[in-house]
Amino acid sequence: MSRYPNRWKYVNALRLVVLTLAFVPLVFLPYSTIYQHFLAAHAYDMLNASDQRLYDVMNFLTGNFITDAKQFDVVKGTTWSATFWGFKLSDPLAVLSQTAAHTHLHGPLLLSVLLPVLATVILGRFFCGWLCPANLLYELADWIAERLRRAGVPLGDRRFDRRLKYGVLAVGVIASAWGGTVAMSAIYPPAIVGREAYYLIATAGAGAGTAFFAVTLLFDLLVARRGFCRVLCPGGALYSLLGRYRLLRVQRKVDLCNDCKKCDQTCMFDLNPMADGFGQECNNCGACIAVCPTGSLVFEWARKDGPPQGPGHLGSVYKKNKGTPHA
Amino acid sequence: MNRRRFVQAMGALALSAAGGMSKTLAAAPHEVARLRFLRPPGAKAEEEFLNTCIRCGQCGEVCPNQAINYFKFEDGLSAVDTPFITPREQACILCMKCGDICPSGALEKIPAEAEDILGRVRMGRAVVDKRLCLSYNGKTCGVCYRACPLQDIAMKCGMLEQPIVTEACIGCGLCERSCISMPQAIRILPSLDKEQKA
Repeated sequence: MSRYPNRWKYVNALRLVVLTLAFVPLVFLPYSTIYQHFLAAHAYDMLNASDQRLYDVMNFLTGNFITDAKQFDVVKGTTWSATFWGFKLSDPLAVLSQTAAHTHLHGPLLLSVLLPVLATVILGRFFCGWLCPANLLYELADWIAERLRRAGVPLGDRRFDRRLKYGVLAVGVIASAWGGTVAMSAIYPPAIVGREAYYLIATAGAGAGTAFFAVTLLFDLLVARRGFCRVLCPGGALYSLLGRYRLLRVQRKVDLCNDCKKCDQTCMFDLNPMADGFGQECNNCGACIAVCPTGSLVFEWARKDGPPQGPGHLGSVYKKNKGTPHA
Repeated sequence: MNRRRFVQAMGALALSAAGGMSKTLAAAPHEVARLRFLRPPGAKAEEEFLNTCIRCGQCGEVCPNQAINYFKFEDGLSAVDTPFITPREQACILCMKCGDICPSGALEKIPAEAEDILGRVRMGRAVVDKRLCLSYNGKTCGVCYRACPLQDIAMKCGMLEQPIVTEACIGCGLCERSCISMPQAIRILPSLDKEQKA
């Protein structure tokens, strides 16, 4: 046991589990849709071998709970917009884009974003780290890229101004209004991932979204590390704005910090936890908390970030200049 | 050619290509393609539909007849990922589940009752081509009449089982789907505009 126990050591692992669990339905639901058609048709004998296999697997997974094909209707959709037993949840970006295109608010859609907006106001940009299906793929790609970098493959690591994404958000809103069409759904990776998974699994094949997503992955790999989320994502921009005055924040306990900089390196959004630089773009993913060897980063209920506190009290800089905190 | 020149050339190429394509891509599919398609039942007039639908894809997921497809990139940027029905491939069975699940209001919520469907659904209207229709050419057929979910309301049956489409037809497309003539002798003319939707 370390002298400085980290109670939140497993928060990042927990997040990855949640992220994966949120991704599973995007793959499962299209298969369940196909199975639903098979089930309703009562024609197992007529299916070809691969469809029979799909039927068998789905029957094994759901046969104990679901006997009537209609029962599959209760859960449909993706993270962009979903229905659970008639209760609808949508992405706030969908409302923004529709409102821009339509110049009129649709009540039921507005109701469906109430909960996500409320959660974002309280928890900040948590969707990005804890639920976003595109983020799971980006993180996976980044994990692979990290290993490639270590193996000596020259991959891009350029830095761009993170404020660019607010521009993308503005451009998306203007494009929606000007084109009279909900343009945001075509450039927002989580919407694309859910939709394209459905196209790939349950319909004839992929749409243009797959190509767009592949380009964003290449941008991440070859140009800027985690570039799309950090610099370009319009949804991330909206969530950052909504989460600006979030109540749950990661804060640094300066007396436990040893200036090791692991938090700065692990942050997916290129923030600086070690310099108390969280700001509106922190998504409370907890990766910095989990990686901290001394447990100096903690979740706290607070309206504002604390002021910069200078070098950590366990670090060499502070120890050398004991008594003069901002040396 | 150095790299900068190459990038400039590719940029110019992309711009000119975009210029050429933008007219096609920016327009709605009913304006560009000579593609005949229906919107799902309860859909708003085309222009309003395009700026209301959030492209969540739930209507297609919930459709029990797999009738709902989605437009691709090449059908125009403004309509990409919006739902449509090609009745000859798979027609609407008027179960009204898509309107139930639609979160955006692009598809109206309409109860699956005959009066509501007759009064509020307007996908199109069936038109018979008498030169192709078997019944109009002396061979008793009547398949479309039997496929019609609104028999004797939307379609009446004349001599030799000749189909007579009435004003009540809402354009679900089951007649077109079932027509045994090749090419089909009965087609749905879509009502995508506001005037026709009233």
